Amino acid sequence: MYGGGNTFEGIKTDSIATEDPTKLAEFEARIERGEKIEPADWMPQLYRKQLIRMIEQHAHSEIIGALPEGTWITRAPGFKRKMSLMAKVQDEVGHGQLLYSAAETLGKPREQMIEDLINGKSKYSNIVNYPTFTWADCCFISWLVDAGAIVNQLANAKGSYGPYCRALDRICAEESFHLKYGHHCVIYLASGTPKQRQMFQEALNRWWPPMMHFFGPSDKISAHTEVLMRWKVKMGTNDEMRNQFLDMYVPKIWELGFTIPDPKLKRVKRQVSGNTLNLIGKNLSA
Amino acid sequence: MLNSLDPRVNRLPQINQSISPKAPLDQFGTFEVFVQPKEGKSFQHEGIVHAPNLELAYVLAKEAFTRRFTCVSLYVVDTREVFVSPMTEGNNNAYDLIPESTTSTPGNQSFEIYHLAKRGKQHVHVGTVAANNPEEAMVHAREKLNTGKIVFNVWAIATEAIRFTSEEDKELWLTLPEKKFRDASDYKGGDKLKNFLERTKINH
Amino acid sequence: MDHTPLKELLYKMADDQLILGHRNSEWTGMGPLLEEDIAFSSMAQDKVGQSLALYTLLHELGESDPDTVAFTRNANQFHNCQLVELPNQEYDFSLIRHFLFDTAEALRFEMLTRSSHQPLAQLATKIRGELRYHTLHANTWIKQLGSATPESISRLQKSLEYALPFALGIFETSLYEKELIAAGIFEGEQALQQKWLAKIESILSQTSLQLPDLKLIQPIVGGRQGKHTEHLQPLLDEMSEVFKIDPTAEW
Repeated sequence: MYGGGNTFEGIKTDSIATEDPTKLAEFEARIERGEKIEPADWMPQLYRKQLIRMIEQHAHSEIIGALPEGTWITRAPGFKRKMSLMAKVQDEVGHGQLLYSAAETLGKPREQMIEDLINGKSKYSNIVNYPTFTWADCCFISWLVDAGAIVNQLANAKGSYGPYCRALDRICAEESFHLKYGHHCVIYLASGTPKQRQMFQEALNRWWPPMMHFFGPSDKISAHTEVLMRWKVKMGTNDEMRNQFLDMYVPKIWELGFTIPDPKLKRVKRQVSGNTLNLIGKNLSA
Repeated sequence: MLNSLDPRVNRLPQINQSISPKAPLDQFGTFEVFVQPKEGKSFQHEGIVHAPNLELAYVLAKEAFTRRFTCVSLYVVDTREVFVSPMTEGNNNAYDLIPESTTSTPGNQSFEIYHLAKRGKQHVHVGTVAANNPEEAMVHAREKLNTGKIVFNVWAIATEAIRFTSEEDKELWLTLPEKKFRDASDYKGGDKLKNFLERTKINH
Repeated sequence: MDHTPLKELLYKMADDQLILGHRNSEWTGMGPLLEEDIAFSSMAQDKVGQSLALYTLLHELGESDPDTVAFTRNANQFHNCQLVELPNQEYDFSLIRHFLFDTAEALRFEMLTRSSHQPLAQLATKIRGELRYHTLHANTWIKQLGSATPESISRLQKSLEYALPFALGIFETSLYEKELIAAGIFEGEQALQQKWLAKIESILSQTSLQLPDLKLIQPIVGGRQGKHTEHLQPLLDEMSEVFKIDPTAEW
C-alpha cells in the first residue's frame, strides 16, 4: 500500500569510486538495456544498501499500515464491508510479507528487519502513524492513501531490481481492488445522508496534510539522487509523484462535492505536448 | 489499562513485566512456493514463506499465494533443497556452464527441473530426471530438457523433498472463484455515482 | 411445514460462524507471524462468508435480511455457543479454540451434506474445501506446538483445559433434536459429539498434550438458548457501532 516518500539520505556516493569499473560498467549497461538485476548478479554496494533500505521501509509501512485500517475491522458496517475490509487489511500484511522476501534476497534477514522496526532503527511512511477516528477515516485511507501508493508503486515496478519488481507486480494487482473498494465506500458516503457526508468531509480535512507529506519533501536533485535514478532505484521525483496524484484524484474528490482544505489548489490550464489538459496546480513552497 | 482508539488493542492481555528482547529465529526458515494456476499448465515459482516446518509451510503458502485468481495445485520445498546453476545473461546458456559429470549412470533418485527462460521472470517447471545427486541431475537435464533455447538459470530439486498437493487436497480451492469480495470487479459504484451527480445537478 | 426446528439449527450455526469469524478477524494485522496472520484472516473471512450464506438460507425461509439479522439483534437473541464469544486472549487460546471448534464445525457440515434440506446440503458440499483447510491448519499447528517446547506445550495444555467445558457447550442439545433427526435434516448433537471426540483424541495423541477425562467436566451450556457470557453484548455493540449511526443508511 504505502510506497511513498522514501528517504535516501545518509549514505555517501563515495563508495562507487572503490567499485570495479568493468563490473560497474556492465551493471549500468544492463540497466540501460532495460534488463533486471537478479540476486546472484554483481551489484555495487551502494545499490544493495539503498535497495535494502527502500524495500524495508516499504515493507514496514505495510505492516504498520495494517493497523489504522484494522482498527475498523470489528466495526465495519454490514457483511459486505466487513468481509472487504478484512481482505483489504490482510492484503497489506501480505504486501509486507512479499516485500520482506524481496529485501531478504539482498542479504538482510527478515528477523533483522523486524528487529530494526521494533527498535525504531528503521524508518517507515509517517502517514500510517495517524489515528483513524471514524469509519470515514478508514475509507479515506482505502481510497486515497492507496491511490497515492499506487502512483509510487507503479513507477517503482519499472525499476531495475527483479525481486522487488515482481513483488510490486503482485502488489499492484491487489491494489486495484483496494482502490475500487475505497472509492466505492466513499461514493456511498458522498451520496448518503448529511451525517455520512459530514463524516467524510471531516476525514478529508484531517487527512489532507499527511496525504501531501506522504510523497516526501520536494527533491533537491543531488549527485546522489542522480545516481539512484540512473540505476532505476528511484523512479521519479517526489514532486512528480505528488503532482500525478493531484492530477488524477483532485477532480474525483471535487466531483463528489467535497472541499479540499487547501485554498491554493485551483483549476489551471496547462499546455502539454500540444494538447490542452485540465490539470491541477499546486504551490508546494507554501 | 491501555487506552487506544482501536478497541482490539484495549482487549490485549496486560503485559506486567517489562518487554524482554525477543528470542532469535522467531521468523523460522524459508520455503519455496510453486503454484499451478490451471490443469495442464506448468508449476511456477511464486516466492517464499517463513515457517517452522514443511507441512506448515504448505498450509501457510496456500493463503499467502493462492487466495486470489485461479489455482489447482501448490507445492513447497525447503529453500536449502534447491540446487542452483550459475546465472547467465545475453546469449549464454546456463547449461553450458554446468560441469561435466564423472559418472554416466542414470541414477535412482528423481529430481524436478526448473528453467528461467527470461531474466526478470520466475522459474518454471520443465520436467523430471533420474540421477544420483543434484549435480548429475543438471547434467541429465541438459541432455533431456535443453531445447537449445537460452536458459539463464536451472534449478534441481529432489522430488522426495517436496510437499505436494494430494488428489484430496485439491478441493482446498473449490470456492476460490466465489471469493469476489477480494476482486476489484466486485466494487462497481458507477450507477450510484451517476445518480448522485444527476441529483446534485438538479439541486444546484 | 413447520420450519422452526430447521431455523433453530440454521441460527445457531450462523451465529457460531459469525461470532467466531468476528473474533478471529481481530488478529488481522496483529498475528504472531506474517504468514499466519494471512492464513488466520482468510479463515475468518471464510467463517463470516459462511454465516452470510446461512443467514441467506434463513432469509429464504422468511427471516429478515442478513445485515439486519446480524447487526441489530441483542445478545439474548443470539444462539451461538459461549466458546466462540470468549475474548481472544493470547494466541494459544485462539489456536486451541480454532482446533476444538473447527473440528466440530467440519464434522457438522460433513454430516449436513446428507441433509434432507437440500439448500443446506448443497451449501455443506460447496464449502467442504474451506473446512478441509481450516482443520488442516488447526491440526498442523496443534501437532507442531503440542510437541515443540515446554513453553508451547504448557501454554496449549492450559488453554485446552480452560476451553474444554465451553467446547462441550457446542453440543448443547436443541429443543428440536428429535424433529431434526426424524426429518433427516441433521443427525443430532450427540452423534456429532462422538465423532468430534474421536477426532480430537486422534490429533492430541500425536502430541505431548493430555486430554482430560471429559466425564469429569461439566459442560458450559446456555448459549443455544440465548444465555451468554458478559463478553457477547460488548462484541455486538462494537460490531454494530457504525451500522447503528443510521441503520437506514447505505454504507
